[in-house]
Amino acid sequence: MTIDEPVPTPTALGRVVATERKPNTPHEFHFWTALDSPVGIGTIVRAQGDAPVNGSIPQIYGVVVEGLSYTDLATPLHDVLGHDGAPTAASLAATRRAEIRLYSAAVLRQVPEEPLQPVPMGQVFLAADEDVAIALRMDAYLRDGARTGIPIGVYHAGGTDAPIYLDADFLIGPEAAHLNITGVSGLATKTSAIEWIMSSIFTHFPAQKGSIAAVCFNVKGPDLCFLDQPGTIDDRDSALYEKCGVPATPFENVQYFAPFKSDGFSLNTLRSNDELTNNVTPLTWGLREVLQYAEVLLNKDDVDAKADALIDFIRERIVDRDFSDPLLGNKRYLVRSFADLEMWFRDVLSAMENKGNEGWRTHHVATIRKVRNRLSNISTRCAGLVTDAGTVSDLPFGSFQDRTVYVIDVASLEEDAQDLIFARVVTRLREHLEKRDLGVNHVIVFVDELNKYAPNDGQDTYVRKMLLDLAERGRYLGLVLFGAQQFRSQVHRRVVGNSGTALFGRMDADELATPGYAVLSQAVKTKLATLEKGQLMVRHPHFTQPIFVRFPRPAIMRGRDGIEKYPQSVDIDLDAAVLRSLRSLDPSVTLNWVRDAIGIRDDEEVIRARNATLRERPADVKKFFVSQLKPVVAAQPAERQPAAAIRSAPADDPYGF
Amino acid sequence: MTATSMSTERTAVRPDHAIGRWLASLFPDGEAIDGEAPLELVAEAADPPKLAQATVIEGRDLRAIDVGDTLEVAIAAFLDGRQESTVKMYRPGGVPIVAGTIGAVIRERRDRRMFTWSHRVDQRIYVPARYLNDADRWALDTSGANVRDTTAGTPDAIEHPLTLRELARNLVRNDRESLEHALAKEWCAVETRPLLIDGGISAAQPIARSACAIGVVKSHRTLYVQGDALRATLGLEAAQRTSVFSINPEKRAPVASWYLRLRDRAGRDPMWGLVRVEVSAPAGRDDIGARADEVSRWILAEAAPLALPDGRWDKMVYGVRDCEEFLRAVM
Repeated sequence: MTIDEPVPTPTALGRVVATERKPNTPHEFHFWTALDSPVGIGTIVRAQGDAPVNGSIPQIYGVVVEGLSYTDLATPLHDVLGHDGAPTAASLAATRRAEIRLYSAAVLRQVPEEPLQPVPMGQVFLAADEDVAIALRMDAYLRDGARTGIPIGVYHAGGTDAPIYLDADFLIGPEAAHLNITGVSGLATKTSAIEWIMSSIFTHFPAQKGSIAAVCFNVKGPDLCFLDQPGTIDDRDSALYEKCGVPATPFENVQYFAPFKSDGFSLNTLRSNDELTNNVTPLTWGLREVLQYAEVLLNKDDVDAKADALIDFIRERIVDRDFSDPLLGNKRYLVRSFADLEMWFRDVLSAMENKGNEGWRTHHVATIRKVRNRLSNISTRCAGLVTDAGTVSDLPFGSFQDRTVYVIDVASLEEDAQDLIFARVVTRLREHLEKRDLGVNHVIVFVDELNKYAPNDGQDTYVRKMLLDLAERGRYLGLVLFGAQQFRSQVHRRVVGNSGTALFGRMDADELATPGYAVLSQAVKTKLATLEKGQLMVRHPHFTQPIFVRFPRPAIMRGRDGIEKYPQSVDIDLDAAVLRSLRSLDPSVTLNWVRDAIGIRDDEEVIRARNATLRERPADVKKFFVSQLKPVVAAQPAERQPAAAIRSAPADDPYGF
Repeated sequence: MTATSMSTERTAVRPDHAIGRWLASLFPDGEAIDGEAPLELVAEAADPPKLAQATVIEGRDLRAIDVGDTLEVAIAAFLDGRQESTVKMYRPGGVPIVAGTIGAVIRERRDRRMFTWSHRVDQRIYVPARYLNDADRWALDTSGANVRDTTAGTPDAIEHPLTLRELARNLVRNDRESLEHALAKEWCAVETRPLLIDGGISAAQPIARSACAIGVVKSHRTLYVQGDALRATLGLEAAQRTSVFSINPEKRAPVASWYLRLRDRAGRDPMWGLVRVEVSAPAGRDDIGARADEVSRWILAEAAPLALPDGRWDKMVYGVRDCEEFLRAVM
């Protein structure tokens, strides 16, 4: 608009009304509109008082939370009588009855803030862009020079399309933190919303707040398996991206981590297509990595005080230590893997049996047997993740990259293995963030199905304790939990309660009937129960009332499309698995070369060599790989010794040989 | 959609308590009356029911006629008025000072919804000037208020307080009717579309002569039929009318009129759903019968929606109720 153009005067769309029975208060007011006004549940409006207070006209911003419509009918029966009981006759009536659209709005903000008075009578206007910013107090964090706004979507009503911003200080910390999203399954709202918000954060996270990365646990299907692949979006989505200032592109930097299957060499992920494995790294841990989190895998019945003491002893005195004991004949042990530990257990128990001892170093033989049983079982229960040999391939703790998404695919794992991964990864993140040596200043941890991992009831698990700790202390460290679940009411109250920002997609009516939603009006609940795909209700510390926004479809290949375009690799043999792994480091590696190199070596040795190569990423891949294999004595053909004659024949014997 | 009024006039209407305060400041020795029932609600000595003469101008005898079952929506607007008068103070000798508020509105129908075409609201003070002392009269005359003398033109009005209140109420009613007439004239001056007026149209010549004005009378204290004609009238079935007759009251304009039954009266009193329609008297060889049929069908088309919860819903069309509700809201 140029200077010469007149500033358009907004047209009032309603008038504030109040009666003794339905009075206005400082937190709620009522207004009526024309029948064809664009007002609906969730619409933000501005009421303008008629008389100045302290020299300024009060401006009251509110969001519509309830709507009523009625006519001058005293009873429905009158309508029946009026049309002789024939509904079709009603459409022939010469006159429509007088009717009203009466709305109730919850106050978002009053300007001036003091004195806080009941909302005065006056005209009501549809909130324009700048009104929306004031109403939601976004003006405080959209100032030039102190901008910490993260677009979450676009608020749409009438002719208004206003981007809605969350405050990074309250989304990522330190003022508040964490985000929780609830919604029914099957609409792709929760995952899509998280992907969109992460894109938005990566684009708009203020430079002065440092670097940020995300760690996402893919707990089901291919949802997060194609974050680096472009998806299709329509014009409407493009407009939303443009409005929010976020590029409609997939994530540039994504690293995938997945354990092996139980065969030890096939990656246990839906992202196993040859074309996409360049950024997929195996996730394998050994004894040392697992033992610290034994509690995750061992339930309370397993780990009593005595067993716990023995595990501590093993962790502190056995693993990675040069250990000897008179009972064991001063044999020296260096336990580095489950295989080493099993050998150690066997020797200890044999020695005790031989000497008839009931206990060793205060540990009863039954406790030792029990702990041996449980620990040895871990590598079986978590096969593919935990290796007997102690091979470690882990997330790059200490060298995390800014604006990078680290996806850990645990979708196909057993519950124990999933728990172990959650516990260890989050704990390591916390430890590194505490020491400020992770590589980035902030990490978003995305966990889906929170009602499974941090349930409101049930036994207290290590994972739940860890998530509670993350929810309560994470924001001080820069460790932020983005959680998603279908039923918010089934997630631990301290987890959702500590979530500064809450998003709601389409909700189940049963869930909305739970006490946690009692603060919402019936109309808002109805809207929540019928929300379209791509719409969210947002609660944020700066917003005094929930706000409805529309967000674009992520510019990322949907899991279903990804699976069709990049089908999962069929299970392959060890040769092919090694070829695939090594070729990602050196394209000149061929299947024949792999077969020649492997020869007749057993699988375990080959996998160990492959893992070592992947871990070291040497310049000369072939040479390093071969060096990791045990040398084989070259086969030499045995020379045939001529058989000695039993008796030599006379030289002149014509029948001799 | 926005309602556009052709003209709207509204003088400052003081709320009840403000009038009381104003009178108290005007007459410091007086005591403002608070909470008195409006005069319209106070039982009045009603005129006795009567039968009046009328000349049948459609055929020779008055009979029941079917108006046809094809309803036509043709009425473009509705006019009604409302009044409210309350004694606010008594001066020495029980002389009442009455505050009267009058209003009238034309509500136009557009796309089946009602909008205000024009409305007027006015407030006046009604006093029997003849019975006020000089000081009081002077105080009122110089107050700037619109003061109406209820005893002007009624030299035989006695000093009885009830009589004086009745005079006030009647003058308020007259003023309200004048306001209605003024609006009706406005409509008829610029419109040719039919205007349904709540009540008779014979009181004002220009309206009574206008082809666009249709009066619908709901009260029947005066019946213009007797004998067989009365029996035929009270025996009307729904959607039947009587023959047209001419009414030529004293001091009023002649109009053509007929009775029309809006609803089936089975099980109810004989006047249930019965209205009397007034239109301008036919000129020359006009086919008044055909016009009566047409206008009757227009009115029958207004039978729905019902004017409930108004107690007169059997005779009241919804457009008139809408006018009343509008006036109730703005007065």
